[in-house]
Amino acid sequence: MKQNINKFSIIAFCIFLLTCFAALAESPEEKGLRLAIEGDKRDEGFQDTTSQMKMKLRNAQGEESIREFYSKTLEVLEDGDKSIFIFEHPRDVSGTAVLTFTHKQGPDDQWLYLPALKRVKRISSDNKTGSFVGSEFAYEDLSSQEIEKYTYKWIQDIPCPGKEEITCFNSEDYPVDKSSGYTKRVIWTDYDEFRVWKIEFYDRKESLLKTLVFSDYKLYLDKYWRSHFLHMVNHNTAKETEIIIESIKFQSGLKDSDFNRQALKRVR
Amino acid sequence: MFGKNYSINMKASYFFLFFSYFIINGIAYSFYENMEFKGEISLSGRYFPSEPAYSGQKHNNFSIAIKPEIFKDFDEQSSLIFTPFIRLDSADPNRSKGDIREFLYTKYGDDWEASIGIGQVFWGITESKNLVDIINQFDEVEDPNNKTKLGQPLGNITLIRDVGYFEFYLLPYFRERPTPGKKGRLRTDPHFLKSDAKFEGGSQWTPEVAFRWLNTYGEIDISSHLFLGYAKQPSIDLRIIDGVTNYGAAYQRIRQIGGTIQKTAGPTLYKLELIGRDGQRDSKLRRTEFLASVIGLEHTMYRVLGDNGDLGFILEYNFDSRRSRSGELLQDDLFVATKFSLNDNLNTEISLSSIFDLDGDGQTYQLDFGKRINDSLTYNIKGAVYQNGRSGSTLYILRQDSWLELEMKYYF
Repeated sequence: MKQNINKFSIIAFCIFLLTCFAALAESPEEKGLRLAIEGDKRDEGFQDTTSQMKMKLRNAQGEESIREFYSKTLEVLEDGDKSIFIFEHPRDVSGTAVLTFTHKQGPDDQWLYLPALKRVKRISSDNKTGSFVGSEFAYEDLSSQEIEKYTYKWIQDIPCPGKEEITCFNSEDYPVDKSSGYTKRVIWTDYDEFRVWKIEFYDRKESLLKTLVFSDYKLYLDKYWRSHFLHMVNHNTAKETEIIIESIKFQSGLKDSDFNRQALKRVR
Repeated sequence: MFGKNYSINMKASYFFLFFSYFIINGIAYSFYENMEFKGEISLSGRYFPSEPAYSGQKHNNFSIAIKPEIFKDFDEQSSLIFTPFIRLDSADPNRSKGDIREFLYTKYGDDWEASIGIGQVFWGITESKNLVDIINQFDEVEDPNNKTKLGQPLGNITLIRDVGYFEFYLLPYFRERPTPGKKGRLRTDPHFLKSDAKFEGGSQWTPEVAFRWLNTYGEIDISSHLFLGYAKQPSIDLRIIDGVTNYGAAYQRIRQIGGTIQKTAGPTLYKLELIGRDGQRDSKLRRTEFLASVIGLEHTMYRVLGDNGDLGFILEYNFDSRRSRSGELLQDDLFVATKFSLNDNLNTEISLSSIFDLDGDGQTYQLDFGKRINDSLTYNIKGAVYQNGRSGSTLYILRQDSWLELEMKYYF
């Protein structure tokens, strides 16, 4: 009997040790990737969304201007998502739309629709570093986030910024694509629901360029958390941009055929 | 106010009005639901520093234009768009005109789309000129760079398949090219008569047909088309009226085959537009076969100006196998453009371009500066300088007509 207990404790101890080794063996890079994949999995199956958005641009003098647009996104499991952005305000760009096919590997495909000419123009997706309609958001900040586009590193576990009662993991990711405007992003994500609370963007000179803070999270379909207020500050220029999500509709039955050149010409 | 051209246009429009009436009537109960109304009003003044070259031409001009747009979504699968356009010009009665830019009913499914009415169709990919755009007539009085098109009566079916988009067009009525009148600048001497155009090989109601296929293969976009109908450029038909020589317009039936290829390689777009055409009369009035192409590239450097500004370069070579007999401004010309897009709050854009004729037949310099004033107001400064055209060439005709335009646009 005594022997049995000894045997059991030895086995238990061994298992405990093994687990410790396994945990120790996971490097910060592996943990970062594991957490990123876990976060991505949590968002799987949303099918499609339609969002109405308002953007408030504020310069260093505090002058504001407003942009309004809406977007449609289609989840593509085997490759990157497809999306259409339609500008509504200011009026001179109303009706201008961008169709994007995100790819897990290689550059995205992008088409621009110019309503005054009825022209569909294939454009370079290399403009990812460029400002989105004069805002502090670059195109790459707003495009579909695919696991393959970054490498990851877990840093530490800390209370979430702006929501101290829950625990966040603080991690860094590094863009794979050398044409990205960033060398790294520092991200705070909570363990409970894998919501992102804060991102710091580091430019090509590895100095802090921008800080983005997420708030006003709402839960959809009991599974998908979406922030309704995004606030970006550019530390170089003191300019700010707020994104206010006015509405999100999930699973309205969008199809692949809503995301082609013909559909791009029809969007309003 | 409106000339004869306009009443002919109206006749064509009645047919579509009539047709649309039935569509509208059928769903009148919900007509005002999902209806959108917007549009733009523009005020502009064009200044010509040099004296007019031809008798009867007025010096400068002011004009006002309005383009409302009514859009109606009937259900998930069909829509109607109506975009009339009216311009009043202080100098040239030919520029005071109305046109229905669009009056198009569209119905669609997952893998097809069909539309009927008056539409605008853009096929081109290059920036200096779009050779392949053959569906719509250009509105030459509106804009000397041929970027503005008249509404074209058409029926269209597009099929979307794995192997590409297949587009079929039937055009029941031909639109004549509007040209400046006696009082207008940027015209030939003599000016083209507004009425009694000749339609060689048919009438204005002889149908035209077109087919186009396009597809995307990774970073390459390809299209090809076939067109049977009238050339959009009129040839000169001399008419002696009361001992005075006048230009009349004559349009010939043509056959055209053509295509486009674009390769999107990172920040550089490589482009080719190519057409082969026969049946059209050249400037010596001979019917010829010819090839024409625009080949070039567009390169953009992102975020090199200020915080966010982009700098773009465009280099394009325009070729026409008829050379000096083509009657087109761009036939053996190099087009070089620089585009500054500041991506600022006010969407400031500056474009400077020049066209060099490689036969030594002069240069054109163009400026386009645009900026937003507030959420519903923009302004635009445009201009062109025409230099060193050889006597008898297309550029020589415009030798006194270098211009500068200020335009304000209000969007509602």
